[in-house]
Amino acid sequence: MGDVLVWLIWFLAAGGLLASGAAVVSVSNPFYSALALIANLASLAVLYLLLSAEFLAAAQVLVYAGSVMVMFLFVVAYLGGRADAPWAGGPPLLRTAALVAAIALLVEVVVVLGLAWGDNLSDPAEISAAFGSPGAIGELFLTDHLLAFEITSIVLLVAAVGGVILGTTPRRRGENEHRREA
Amino acid sequence: MTQRVDWWVSLLQAFVVINIVMGGFAYLTLAERKVMGRMQLRYGPNRVGPYGLLQPIADLVKLLHKESFRPAAAIDWLYLLGPFLAAFTALATFSVIPFGPGWEIAGVYVPGQVADLDIALILIFAIGSIGAYGFIVGGWASDSKYALLGAMRTCAQLVSYEVALALSVLGVVIMAGSLSLTEIVAAQADSTWYVLPQIVGFLVFLLAGTAETSRAPFDLPEAEQELVAGYHTEYGGMRFGLYSMAEYINLITLSGLCVTLFLGGWHGIGFTPDWLAPAWFVAKVAVLLYVFIWMRTTLPRLRYDQLMRFGWKVLLPVATLNAVVTAILVVAL
Repeated sequence: MGDVLVWLIWFLAAGGLLASGAAVVSVSNPFYSALALIANLASLAVLYLLLSAEFLAAAQVLVYAGSVMVMFLFVVAYLGGRADAPWAGGPPLLRTAALVAAIALLVEVVVVLGLAWGDNLSDPAEISAAFGSPGAIGELFLTDHLLAFEITSIVLLVAAVGGVILGTTPRRRGENEHRREA
Repeated sequence: MTQRVDWWVSLLQAFVVINIVMGGFAYLTLAERKVMGRMQLRYGPNRVGPYGLLQPIADLVKLLHKESFRPAAAIDWLYLLGPFLAAFTALATFSVIPFGPGWEIAGVYVPGQVADLDIALILIFAIGSIGAYGFIVGGWASDSKYALLGAMRTCAQLVSYEVALALSVLGVVIMAGSLSLTEIVAAQADSTWYVLPQIVGFLVFLLAGTAETSRAPFDLPEAEQELVAGYHTEYGGMRFGLYSMAEYINLITLSGLCVTLFLGGWHGIGFTPDWLAPAWFVAKVAVLLYVFIWMRTTLPRLRYDQLMRFGWKVLLPVATLNAVVTAILVVAL
């Protein structure tokens, strides 16, 4: 019973992930693209949940689907184009052929990897109860991956400073002098 | 702590809790109108039933009987998705808020919340951030400038105040050492209610929460003098009802979260018998809801630039400072 349910959810999430991912790049109205990307991130979060990574799933929804995508929608909604059709005809023949070829290559890669690893892939991973909990993740951040964690924080700080610099209009010289006189 | 819960108990409990919360929403609208009426030297609704107590039911029947119109140029499925998304996420967040210690009823263990998670606090913020799409999508799909402007204001306001809201609870998380709401409640029972050591966090949470739920004085997304009704301008009947429900239930959930994080959760003053715990929880939530209504009648609406300045230049630095100071003190002591 439990296994069947897990499989069912896995197939729904994986199908949703692929479908919404295809929709992101194929619909012509950017608002729908953004909505599809939100659905994509949400399905990915479900897959994370199935991998017992609850914290990662929630953080992913909170940060990417919740906060980053709101900004996307904010800009896209102001750009207009509300009345545009979400779908501007199918892709040309060549693109369809390229897609089929890409899928064929992917299947080949999966088959080759599966044959090479053989039975090793059938062993389920052994994880402890604390796996994926906030405490375990925090400990990994501050021990094994401390350098990457700190570098990321510096990159984010630089990005934030850059955002502030790009977002403020530079004050012209005349304006400054005028202010000093006043 | 982690007793096994049968799936049918969870299902039944979810059903009961959803209905109680929806009933709470219905009577919160009545309480708001009554209290506001009294504060403005009016009576408020007093015609339907004794003291107007049946008013919410009359309102519901009215909303259900209204014609389900929609603007001709509205995008159908998104126009319908908006209110559903908003109402669904509002109801879903309440599932992790603990309202009791858990009971043994006729040999069956009934937990004090629908779902007990390690990451309950993050889950509430995550689902809440998805709920914002209900307002944005609905406003965008209605083909109305007022609705679009309201949706955009909601967008900007929610993103701005979400940061301060999340940072304000960080102090509580550091003190309790957990993101699980049941453990935060247990930690407060062992020490003291976190409203005392975390008074700054509590005030920031209350203010940012008022803005997150678009309540006065932060009700710019639906400022009726400027935007008619904001994102739900083009909605009528029960679709409007769903939006209204989402807003009030978000307010109830926020009050419940505030009680859980800062006011000791379901613990009463002194000894509380297990069966009385939900009553304490409801009483504390009711007091907070009264404060929200009180604020609405007392404070005039902020200007838009004041709103943004207050969020980014006052609340955010204060919340950050609070988290840093708490972290230092917890490590030092």
